[in-house]
Amino acid sequence: MKKLRLYYEEYNRRPYQLLWRHFVTQQFALFGLLSLLSLLLIAIFSPLFTPHDPYLQNSALLNQVPSWQNGGQVAYPFGTDDLGRDLLSRLMLGCSYTFGTALLAVFGSLAAGLLLGGLAGMSKGVKSSIFNHLLDLALTIPSLLFAIVIVAVLGPGLQNTLWAVMLALLPQFVHAVRHEIQHQLKQDYVIAYRLDGANNLQILWSVILPGLWEPLTLLFTMALSTAILDIAAIGFLGLGAQAPTPEWGTMIADALDAIYLAPWTVALPGLLIFITVLSINLVGDGLRVAMKKRREI
Amino acid sequence: MIWRYLARRAFLLVFVMFALTGFVFSLNFMFPTEAMLTAGVLPANTSANVLSQYITYCQQLLLGHWGTSLATQQPILGEVLALLPATIELAAAALLFSLFAGIPLGLLAAVRKDRWLDRLISGAALIGFSMPVFWWALLLIMVFSLHLGWLPTSGRLSVLYDVPHQTGFLVLDILRSELADKTAALSNAFIHLLMPMLVLACYPTTVMVRFVRGSMLNVLEKNYIKTARAKGLSRGQVLWHHGMRNALLPVTRQIGLQFSSLLTLAMLTEVIFSWPGIGQWLIDSIYQRNYPAIQAGVLVLSTLVILVNILTEILHTVFDPLARKL
Amino acid sequence: MQLLDIRNLTLELQTPDGAIRAVDRVNLTLKEGEVRGLVGESGSGKSLIAKAIMGVLHERWRITADRFHWCGEDLLRLPYQKQRQIISRDIAMIYQEPSRSMDPTAPIGEQLAESIPDHLLQGVSWWQRSYFRRKKAEALLHKVGIRDHKAVLSSYPYQLSEGVCQKISIAMAIAKDPKLLIADEPTTALESTTQSQLFRMLASFNQLRGMSVLLISHELETVARNTDTLSVLYCGQLVEAGETKDVLQSPRHHYTDALVRSVPEFQPDLGFKQPLYALPGSIPTLQHLPIGCRLGPRCPNARKECVKTPVPERQQNHHYSCHFPLQQRGSDE
Repeated sequence: MKKLRLYYEEYNRRPYQLLWRHFVTQQFALFGLLSLLSLLLIAIFSPLFTPHDPYLQNSALLNQVPSWQNGGQVAYPFGTDDLGRDLLSRLMLGCSYTFGTALLAVFGSLAAGLLLGGLAGMSKGVKSSIFNHLLDLALTIPSLLFAIVIVAVLGPGLQNTLWAVMLALLPQFVHAVRHEIQHQLKQDYVIAYRLDGANNLQILWSVILPGLWEPLTLLFTMALSTAILDIAAIGFLGLGAQAPTPEWGTMIADALDAIYLAPWTVALPGLLIFITVLSINLVGDGLRVAMKKRREI
Repeated sequence: MIWRYLARRAFLLVFVMFALTGFVFSLNFMFPTEAMLTAGVLPANTSANVLSQYITYCQQLLLGHWGTSLATQQPILGEVLALLPATIELAAAALLFSLFAGIPLGLLAAVRKDRWLDRLISGAALIGFSMPVFWWALLLIMVFSLHLGWLPTSGRLSVLYDVPHQTGFLVLDILRSELADKTAALSNAFIHLLMPMLVLACYPTTVMVRFVRGSMLNVLEKNYIKTARAKGLSRGQVLWHHGMRNALLPVTRQIGLQFSSLLTLAMLTEVIFSWPGIGQWLIDSIYQRNYPAIQAGVLVLSTLVILVNILTEILHTVFDPLARKL
Repeated sequence: MQLLDIRNLTLELQTPDGAIRAVDRVNLTLKEGEVRGLVGESGSGKSLIAKAIMGVLHERWRITADRFHWCGEDLLRLPYQKQRQIISRDIAMIYQEPSRSMDPTAPIGEQLAESIPDHLLQGVSWWQRSYFRRKKAEALLHKVGIRDHKAVLSSYPYQLSEGVCQKISIAMAIAKDPKLLIADEPTTALESTTQSQLFRMLASFNQLRGMSVLLISHELETVARNTDTLSVLYCGQLVEAGETKDVLQSPRHHYTDALVRSVPEFQPDLGFKQPLYALPGSIPTLQHLPIGCRLGPRCPNARKECVKTPVPERQQNHHYSCHFPLQQRGSDE
């Protein structure tokens, strides 16, 4: 509903409103955002709303087909797995495990990355170059390999996977934050602030941090999709959440032996991982395009 | 001047190798020490201080005494050297595929921006980028192996062909062996390579398409492109000479950055397709708690990534005049 | 012969809040061998007009004109390919920041050889083409005053200074022997010695080859010294046009008058420490363009009729659009 304009007034929108308007005009990005929000709701509230107990084994209904095929029941919409557990409930609970763990890992990594990257970015000289080289080294070790090694050291389990993925994502965040800060420090307005007498902390807080939001948001979305894929991969390899935890990757690995009998037990968790990562990437792409459009007329 | 640059790079390489070996050495203290002692990785007198232990460890590494595997009781270095070519073959095939398929598609999408071809290519790239690699592999296996029966599900070569292990690179081994029908063996090897390569190439190809598209769009907005158009050059000439050369410059550096993800995905692919490479060996070692093997595996894979990174950086400096400014 | 004949050129930009007329009904004519100056502040649309003539405006701009003739042919009615053919054959342009308008990854020799058109290499067998191209490139560099051609031909744009880069862009522009050279603020980034070299070069090309020059600038002094005719733009509207001497000695529009009076060079009897004349206010932003004559809010002589756009009038080759023009100096006495 348009605002009623009585007088010809100049109406300038705030940057966030501009960003939102540009974002909303892209249908796919909006679709991604909506599905992401619904997945988030499922992740938070799923323990309350699962139709059946995700851990309850029912030996009478092993490998029940999904309800849209012949022989399926509506009571078990997605069918059951080879131990008779309802697949829909397990998938919903798995959302909390996979998506929730990924969110926690990325938030933790972001916070630590901001801290370390801020320190690294504002430092100069020998300290800075040593840190840079160490960071380059940390970046060369593949993140999943790093995570797998940490899990190998700590032992399997979902909590260790969380720490592993958090540590594996940390170098990327630190690198991006440091790069952005150094890029901003070279700008002329920072020199102007320094001449005014601002010290390092003031410059960091008022000048540099506001400029970090844009690249950080994009990096957040990329890191989130990487985190989900990594957690699922570690679960698939059997090093992450252990059975009977219904983490999506673990579910695929468990159902692999019965792939002929019950292909839906393999296809559906993978499909959900795919939809989650796709929504995140749609939102990320939409944000990038919206930010670019906001910079033009 | 170029020698100074190479010397700087070599110095950096040495520094990074020290840091890497230090990290791998520190794994010794995180793994149970009895296992490491029996494998012969840790020196017998653990009473010496950390620095001398580290130096001994480095010496052992350089001499090739990488310890014995807890699972097979064989020297680890031999196992690594036998399995490494398979992984390199798979990774190289996927990388080449991503270059030959990804770059033209990305350029095409950038030139036809916002038309149906661009939407198709970008949409497909987004879908491929979001797909978990193990799920994509299982889908392909279900369709091509189980339903259609066209492609095999595992291994490098059918058991009918007995190719003696010489270099480890299957193509070379087949050519050097004395098999009766080499072309049949080669085509069989190719069929075995096809599905793992397609699975592994999914991620790098989509990354390349998105990256090249973005880079080309960036370049097409620059001033010198408009000047070249105003100078009177035809659109094709402008795109070919000025646009493409500038747009493809960052690609070499991007390959180096992507190589580490490529290796990780190669590990997963090898597990799924039972491809006898380093990745599968490393994962099996983790299952079996084969700590010396894990240490060696991490060292080898990270060294490979570092070497490829440095190589692509050097290539980038060779090709990009702007990078030579520094 | 009339080279360029533009009548009522309008450039509009579509924004979410409506269409913005950045250039409003501008007339521009150019004869063969003429050096015309286009003066205006930054934001008056001079570069836009130049880009519209070259045909390299962004797709967002809408170009409308009653007449857009080049050597008698109407460019707007021709298909795109034919347009580009004619423009690339006859018109060349040099830019404000020359090093940015050159490809940073190609050496100068390659770029210079590229701008030599094929029709100058008629009768040369194909294996000798690149040799001839190189020879011509060297000759072009000598013509613009660069003696050390070997070093320059093999270097990249970022290794050379702005002055040398600007000379190279002039070399690239004259390689195809154009009928018109559009110089878009060519000397803003250069020091004064290079500036005078450049203008001498442009004058010699104009006299020896009969090449017309459209010199776009915001500095009145340089334009006054180097041009035959002058057009003054304010905020996208053409306020005055005519022979340079005429316009500067007896300006009819208040804006031109203010421009002339703000340059100390044109006022020999300015006293010691006297304030320079300046119009109050500043140039309006694109979102708040005044209706009618755009100088209205600032003009000292503005009246109610000025909300209607003034009709261009002509007096002996001196065009001006003002409802209440200044009287001709020296005509009353």
